[in-house]
Amino acid sequence: MNAKNRNLYDYLNFVNQDVKISYKGPIDEKILAVIGSYIEVILNNNPQASRKLFKIFIELAQNISYYSAEKSDFAPDKHIGYGTLLIMEFPDSYSFITGNAVLNDNIIPLIEKCEFINSLDRESLREYKREQRRHPQGNLGNAHIGLIQVALTAANPLDIEVSPLDDEKSYFSIAVKINK
Amino acid sequence: MEDLIIEGAHDNFFTPSVNFNLKTGICELSGESFLEDTVEFYKPLIDWLESYTTTVKKPIAFIIKLTYFNTSTSRCILDLLNVLKDYEDEGGEVVVNWHYDENDTDMEEDIEDYMIDTGLEINLIPF
Repeated sequence: MNAKNRNLYDYLNFVNQDVKISYKGPIDEKILAVIGSYIEVILNNNPQASRKLFKIFIELAQNISYYSAEKSDFAPDKHIGYGTLLIMEFPDSYSFITGNAVLNDNIIPLIEKCEFINSLDRESLREYKREQRRHPQGNLGNAHIGLIQVALTAANPLDIEVSPLDDEKSYFSIAVKINK
Repeated sequence: MEDLIIEGAHDNFFTPSVNFNLKTGICELSGESFLEDTVEFYKPLIDWLESYTTTVKKPIAFIIKLTYFNTSTSRCILDLLNVLKDYEDEGGEVVVNWHYDENDTDMEEDIEDYMIDTGLEINLIPF
């Protein structure tokens, strides 16, 4: 077995039957549309979970598309963020996981924001969302209100992991559980 | 001033349907809202309501039947509702009816949040 095939075999072992969708690459509006419509189709037996997964998918995928520190080479004139997303199904829940590179300068505020979101109960989180929404549209402000919405929709904490990549960037993963 | 009519679409992005009627004052926003440039899309809607509430000054029935909207849309909806609230505070007659799927408890919370935020009475109409 040559190296190429073995790598793909290892990948398939990782992406086992729990994984419903896995994608790595540029995330633009076409990818959003295609994966979004698959989410609606795959989960048509569970409209409530499907609605939640779809909402979470749009917010997290848009965050990658706009804010990933790694951009796609396919359209060098536009900023199309590069990232990875995974949707897994378990007996009583779905998991939605995304990962992308983030500039080291932005990583601490991002972790603090997620930890703050996780520290709030639902009522306080709704109040926080209303407060953030009253602020005018701003660049990273939009990413943050997206994260608040994700936590509200999932009704579960944001499970984050950060791994250093180099002097400039770190890899940021976020996993969200949606109960069935 | 004329009616404001935009046909909805569900392609790469989701464009909501808009039907703001000058004669009846019935303004309907329905479908799904997830747009490439949300602010650009909602600007004419806000302008229309502002000019209606300052020049026509007749009653408004604002009907929302959105089944999905993203967070950037949610800011623009707040802007629309704030125009209506200002109009009501100045003595204008405003009714807001929001139709939503009765199983969609997240949407119900969203509507409550808008009431808290704007101080506007919104009639929740489950279907």
